[in-house]
Amino acid sequence: MTPTAVDVLVVGGGATGAAAAYDLARRGVRVLLVEQSDLSTGTSGRYHGLLHSGGRYAVGDPGTAAECITENRILRHIAPFAIEDTGGLFVATPDDPADHPARWVDACRAAGIDIDALTPAQARAQEPALTPHITAAYRVPDAACDSFDLVHGFVEAMRALCAHSTLCGDLLAYHRVIRLVTNDNSVVGAEVENVRTGDRQVIHAACVLNAAGPWAGMVAGLSGITVKVKLDRGTMVAMNTRWVNTIINRLRPADDGDIIVPVGTVAVLGTTSVTTNRPGDHHVENWEVSKILGEADAVIPGIRQGRALRAWAGVRPLYEPPDIDHGDTSGHGVQRRFAVIDHRVRDQLGGLVTVVGGKLTTCRLMAEEAVNVVCDQLGVDTPCTTAAEPLPLPAFRQQYHRLDHRLRKLEHGQLPGQLICECELVTRPQIEAAIAGYGDHPVALDDLRRDLRLGMGPCQSGFCSVRAAGILHEVKEHSNLKVTRALKDFVDERFRGVKPLLWGHQLRQLYLDELIYRRTLGLDRLIAPTPEERLDS
Amino acid sequence: MTANIASPHGNQPGTDVLVIGAGLSGLMAAVHAVQAGARVRLIAEGWGQQLIAPGWISVCDRADDDVIAEVRGYAALHPDHPYAKAGDDAMVHGLEAFQAITAAIGLSYDRRRRDGHNMRLITMLGAIQRVMMAPRGIANSDWTDVTESILLVGLRGWRDFYPELAAGNLRSQGIEARAIRIDLPEPPGPWDRWPTDLARLFDSSAFRAAIIKQVQPHIRGVEKVGFPAVLGLDHHTEALTNLSEQIERLVFEIPTLPPSLPGLRLSNRLRRWLLRRGVRVQIGHPVTRGLVEGDRCVGVEVQALGHVTPFYADHVILATGGLYSGGIQTSETGRVWEPIFDLPTAGPDVPGREGWYYDRLLKERGHPIHRQAGLRVDHDLRPLNAAGEPALANVYATGHMLAGFNPLTDGCAEGIALATAYKAVHTALELDDKNHRGATDTGL
Repeated sequence: MTPTAVDVLVVGGGATGAAAAYDLARRGVRVLLVEQSDLSTGTSGRYHGLLHSGGRYAVGDPGTAAECITENRILRHIAPFAIEDTGGLFVATPDDPADHPARWVDACRAAGIDIDALTPAQARAQEPALTPHITAAYRVPDAACDSFDLVHGFVEAMRALCAHSTLCGDLLAYHRVIRLVTNDNSVVGAEVENVRTGDRQVIHAACVLNAAGPWAGMVAGLSGITVKVKLDRGTMVAMNTRWVNTIINRLRPADDGDIIVPVGTVAVLGTTSVTTNRPGDHHVENWEVSKILGEADAVIPGIRQGRALRAWAGVRPLYEPPDIDHGDTSGHGVQRRFAVIDHRVRDQLGGLVTVVGGKLTTCRLMAEEAVNVVCDQLGVDTPCTTAAEPLPLPAFRQQYHRLDHRLRKLEHGQLPGQLICECELVTRPQIEAAIAGYGDHPVALDDLRRDLRLGMGPCQSGFCSVRAAGILHEVKEHSNLKVTRALKDFVDERFRGVKPLLWGHQLRQLYLDELIYRRTLGLDRLIAPTPEERLDS
Repeated sequence: MTANIASPHGNQPGTDVLVIGAGLSGLMAAVHAVQAGARVRLIAEGWGQQLIAPGWISVCDRADDDVIAEVRGYAALHPDHPYAKAGDDAMVHGLEAFQAITAAIGLSYDRRRRDGHNMRLITMLGAIQRVMMAPRGIANSDWTDVTESILLVGLRGWRDFYPELAAGNLRSQGIEARAIRIDLPEPPGPWDRWPTDLARLFDSSAFRAAIIKQVQPHIRGVEKVGFPAVLGLDHHTEALTNLSEQIERLVFEIPTLPPSLPGLRLSNRLRRWLLRRGVRVQIGHPVTRGLVEGDRCVGVEVQALGHVTPFYADHVILATGGLYSGGIQTSETGRVWEPIFDLPTAGPDVPGREGWYYDRLLKERGHPIHRQAGLRVDHDLRPLNAAGEPALANVYATGHMLAGFNPLTDGCAEGIALATAYKAVHTALELDDKNHRGATDTGL
């Protein structure tokens, strides 16, 4: 049963919201976290996986750089399960400004970032795929971070704290805030809507913490006040193998296509920076992919001919104070410092605090500062302790979230049953268990993808989607028409992520998938396109 | 080995026709050339699309009545379409020759409809595909004249066939169908069964007997019984006949996910037929480069066993396939090209690949890239250079690598493969259709 009265309602199940909910629970505050979709489906889930050392911001944004290195050390301490200590390299090529490395070295030292100068030969000994034309190389304490693991870690830690006390810390997923309830210049709660059923309920709270990321402006706007969030879309491309084992940063002023991050079994290349006006703008343009691959190829020759699996975009919620006009349209130029807005002070509206901007690397600090303001409003004076104590190891780690875990289980005969998704090693019992977990709720194939990584491997659901649809039909007893429609929706959704990557091997893969859907299955003969789909091009 | 350097033909036996590619059009080109008495060599990097395709022969799936008449009408109006390039006769003779050779190697391909219309075949999702010709097992699913119920048989514990979903979708289209699941007589192993594993089991009469026993109690009121297309590999025809006789109903096959057993059966038997006739068949060896002198291709270089070997021939049939098989390459920068002779394609060479694909994978009529990413050819099927003239006097292109059709949506991929293979060989060897033995003499 969802509580209808709490001390603090945190809006947004990304890294900042989850960290804030955990922080509040540690301070003994009754908290409820509300998320319009699933955990880490917004900016946090559409992230490249780089736990910054701060080096990337040292020259342009020293404040953020200093925060990054501090938080980098803290997250390694409190959430080691989410972090792979790959280390990082900054490398300069002959195309990069020759005077930049010296300035960068000074700035890193000033920000407290440990850097080691390497010779080009040393850098290439560590990462043989690097170009021979390196002009400078430095080692930095970057790391790879799985944001999914981190966010779940915060939420599970919050739940664990509350299980042993009278606190009610919980997560309300798939609920969107549709109204802020106000009373005498104060926010006293929010009305939320179940996005699946349309059911609405009011949750009373002494304070609402708005951590909705790109949607923060819209949430604040529900109470009639303005929070100006600059929405900046960045594209990332996942290559099918780990081209490097160290994070590679380009040693130059921040620009498109500067980073290469080894994450799990893949390498993520990023990013671009395009202004958008929609928080959910996740489209990817071909030029962005070409730009990213071209830049990566300058550092790792040949990567452009490699196989790109999937491209996706996330929206950075950059904060612009209303009185500052940068005149710079590129998001790379905007500072990444975050802001905590106490609306009691700024807008004479109590009970509402907004936190916006920042980086995933600084999510804990953002939560701490925002929660400080919230506690001030509540009259709670317990200090923040989230930096000190490690998070408990989340339970989902035993559920083979990662491919290497699944493989180990499979090789030891511990993943019995039919292998339905061969790329991500998803078995039929896992699918049946996931379907059962939804109880009476309808299940989409995309839900199974998020739960199990079904269809996220190299074949992008060419083989597993029809198998999963068949199982859904058998187990869930959805009608044949509903399941066939679900299959078609899933095919369309998967295609979105590979469409910008269709050339060479990935184009051949999609040819095979399209052949299966159209000829072997005849899926397009069973489901007529909707009128809008007919129009789209 | 110095002899190789001294003489272009070295110590290799002379080759009249070199076929590059082992898809449907490459294999059939080799068959036609053999039947014409030529000395033939076939080199391919891998097997063709028949191993991923459902296995039926699409000639013109959209035809509502007479398929051949529809193709003739279409070709007359579209001179750049491969059917128009091949010509009406090549299409008709190509189909007949294919039916004759497959019958001779023990794999019957049936048309079933006496009126020349498309059959209506059942897919594993319960959709209906209209197709002119198919291997007998698949053709048996034609429900055009079915009056009673269809029974779909699933194999419990097998991940690649969901008969209840297919039956549900058939019923939604007004076709009486129901599904059962039967147990496999073999105990499950530690790994999932592939279609080929099941096909080998169905080759055994003891295995089939156990299957038949489980199906028999369910056949009351049933006119046809459908299985996934795994009914035997080496003894498919025997398995199909045996099941039909013992179940006392017409048994049909439904194509499942790749690898395609119908395609594998065809590839195996055609290869054996070619080898017995002295054709040198090299599969697994990529042709890396054409050797060109003046306006002729004198041979190709092949990468095999760690070194490059030249092979010489008088005529070359280029049947390396399209976007899937590697006959046409695409790059991230938007380039589309043929790699062996570096031939230009009909496009679309678009910087940034803009316009290659629409936003939805299952967009009606398909994506532009498929229609354009292929070779333009003259009426002898010789690829054109950038100036629009035949690039080489003795190179002929066939099948999926031709521009002007979408193999995934136009429902004519196999028809084009058969028509162009026939046309290319007959043009190269300057054969008169009437003198060609191919259509009638296919003796083993």
